[in-house]
Amino acid sequence: MITRRLLGAFFAAAIASGPALAQNYPERELTGIIMWGAGGATDVVARAITPSAEKALGQPIVLQNRPGGVGAISTAYVNSQPADGYTLLYGAENPQIHKVMGLSQIDYKDFFPVNVIARGIAVVVANNNTPWSSLKELVEDAQKRPGAIKMGSTGPGGVAHVVNTMLSNVTPFRVASIPFDGEGPGITALQGGHVDYMPVGLSAAAEHIKAGRVKVLAVVNAESLETLPNVPPITRDFPQFAKFLPWGPFYGVFVKKGAPEAAKAKLVEAFKQAAGNEQFTKMMVDRGNVMMNISGEEADDFLAKYQAVTSWTLHEAGAAKKSPEEFQIPRP
Amino acid sequence: MSADLSNFLMVWTQPDFFALTAIGVFAGIYIGAIPGLSVTMAVSILISFTFSWDVNPALALIGGIFMGGVYGGSRSAILLNIPGAPSAIATAFDGYPLAKRGEAGIAIGISTVMSVVGGFLGIVALAVGAPAISEFALLFAPRDYFLLAIMGLLLVGSLSGESVAKGLFAGALGVAIGMVGLDPMTAESRFTFDTIELMNGIPYVVAMIGLFGISEALVQLHHLETPLVKQDVSRIVPPWSLVRKYLPLAFRSSATGIVIGALPGTGGDIAALMAYDQAKRSVKNPSHPFGHGAYEGLVAPEAANNAAVGGAFIPMLTLGIPGDAVTAVIIGALYIHGLKPGPMMMIETPHLFWFTVGNLTLATIFLLIFGLMGIRLFVKMVECPKGVLIPLIVILSVVGTYSIQNSVVHVYWMLGFGIAGYFLKTYGFEVGPIILGMILGPLMDASYRRAVLSTQDSFSLFLWDLVSNPITFVLAASVVLLLLSQTPFWRPARTGLLRVMWRRGGGLPSL
Repeated sequence: MITRRLLGAFFAAAIASGPALAQNYPERELTGIIMWGAGGATDVVARAITPSAEKALGQPIVLQNRPGGVGAISTAYVNSQPADGYTLLYGAENPQIHKVMGLSQIDYKDFFPVNVIARGIAVVVANNNTPWSSLKELVEDAQKRPGAIKMGSTGPGGVAHVVNTMLSNVTPFRVASIPFDGEGPGITALQGGHVDYMPVGLSAAAEHIKAGRVKVLAVVNAESLETLPNVPPITRDFPQFAKFLPWGPFYGVFVKKGAPEAAKAKLVEAFKQAAGNEQFTKMMVDRGNVMMNISGEEADDFLAKYQAVTSWTLHEAGAAKKSPEEFQIPRP
Repeated sequence: MSADLSNFLMVWTQPDFFALTAIGVFAGIYIGAIPGLSVTMAVSILISFTFSWDVNPALALIGGIFMGGVYGGSRSAILLNIPGAPSAIATAFDGYPLAKRGEAGIAIGISTVMSVVGGFLGIVALAVGAPAISEFALLFAPRDYFLLAIMGLLLVGSLSGESVAKGLFAGALGVAIGMVGLDPMTAESRFTFDTIELMNGIPYVVAMIGLFGISEALVQLHHLETPLVKQDVSRIVPPWSLVRKYLPLAFRSSATGIVIGALPGTGGDIAALMAYDQAKRSVKNPSHPFGHGAYEGLVAPEAANNAAVGGAFIPMLTLGIPGDAVTAVIIGALYIHGLKPGPMMMIETPHLFWFTVGNLTLATIFLLIFGLMGIRLFVKMVECPKGVLIPLIVILSVVGTYSIQNSVVHVYWMLGFGIAGYFLKTYGFEVGPIILGMILGPLMDASYRRAVLSTQDSFSLFLWDLVSNPITFVLAASVVLLLLSQTPFWRPARTGLLRVMWRRGGGLPSL
């Protein structure tokens, strides 16, 4: 029975991929590939936005998690599917540094951005027992005791690593970086006092900040946030940091480049509507995200800027494996 | 207090919640029993499915599936020697030999009752000690996880079968396989041969299905002509005397399960393995030798893995920190339903705590009912001719493996592990240590490096950490004692040189 369904899907794919029928798109169910595993931030966003997008499209979207290779497995998979608009990629920021990190030759240039849904804002949080009351104090302390302060991180190219690299680009300092399996485990270790501070996405830290279990030293943004009015922006202590901003993780929906125009238009329309859904917006904002809901050229510009800033920062810190120049990534 | 009580009773008194919990447990048992279908997966699919629901019915369903799924893995472990879920790996060690002896019925019965006992104890710990236990769990530093991983790896000694050397080889092989993929700390590729498919490593569930399922099917091909074992189904529900005899062990195993479950980063699989190890070390006269169908070998892991459910909820409900993979997904579900899991959740949505406790309690009761139902039918499965059963195992293994990440490459790996497992078994190697190595190797690797990074790469400071911190000291001393107690010079030490050895034992944490 399974083979019969697969065969059916195969023939349907063969028929529907003809350009003549693109006007009636979507004629059958779509597949949504989620870049990260079940329960991760990307997974939650994908599963929350999909029901309203399905309603707008009039066809179900069957979601599958294909994690692995820091997202490279999902981009490779969607890229290998026909460009018919029937396979969606629910992704995060990761592919934009795959080229310089030597992980994959595929990034979002190979995809059409249906919707860049939202971006997250990073904050620098510290253990409550640490003596610092501002990021400046932390940095000065780190300059006095090089390598003695412990930073929680999520590995190379993660939020903590990139923010810290940007900051040491502005003012040189050195800390011990201890990578954890994700932001959650990092914040857990921070509360146990096993690391001293950690730059982290606000969505992962918001509730712990609110409860006073960690203290927040700065928001990695040009202005203070409504949700954290008393926390200074990072540019207060380090004005030169402004050149990197706005910077933060993001979530988006993509299709392979070359999908029929009619399909792209239909998808953009459906996801625009879905990202505007009140319940969804509330959830995203509650999690510390800034809604973007942009597509097409506007989204491409955002993606290009993110890639340029991050790739060059990593390259200049010696953390990248290949130079951004090799891939014609312009210097920001 | 009365508000707490009414929240506790909410699932019991509202018919739809009651029904959803029951459906969840029932579905969970069968999701858990099929290798490759996991509770994590089921819960994340439910997130989309229940998007438009209220949060309470969604949680009632999810809680039921969690409880049922953790238990369900024991079914296939006992009947087919394929753990349906990682938390049932230890159950297969003694469960399958029991089924081979024709005692599958009573084996499932004991597993069910002990899962229920463990489940209740986990819930009691959640209800009574949640805030204290979660603060305690936060104190575990990377070095403590490293020591826990070592303690777990010592289990290789119990699983080696005929030859310790072969066991060590298998364990080391597992650790090496566990290293495949992007290094979690530096994103450096290890043994990936530049293929994207290997970047995420080889999931241990894939290896588990191959090594247990396919290799068992291949071994069975040699015995096509041997007459089938008649399963004794006259006694399914274990007699009270038997239950009472094993209660102390169930309590001890549950305590292990609760703590391991509450620790962020370790879940029911490690809890069950460690409880099995404890049982093997501490039970003097098991009903049969361990590994050959000891009831104790079922009691310990089954009590521990269900106790770990309550344990995993402890840091999740009090601090918004997931205790294992499933609670991590549940946190995502809560966000979607507009709640904010975190330390404030108990204050902002106070009903949630007692609602969850009530839900899990009801789910555990359903577990007893559904778990003892249909055993006779299931047991018939192993009585069906091998010519039917073996192809079924192969199909189940393939489908289950594919569904983990929708990856055909994983199916190839699984078949490869199956064939390798067949040859290993033929030459007297046990496959258990391989899985153990794959689960604990990466935990040990990452934790050790974190611990040393925390001391600025100073090994002597790391050693000092091992004795200067109370939790770490207790764990380090246990590791040393576990090692010493298996060495030949322990016996004279116990009789005469106890004091000297104690001092030496405390001073040799670097062993």
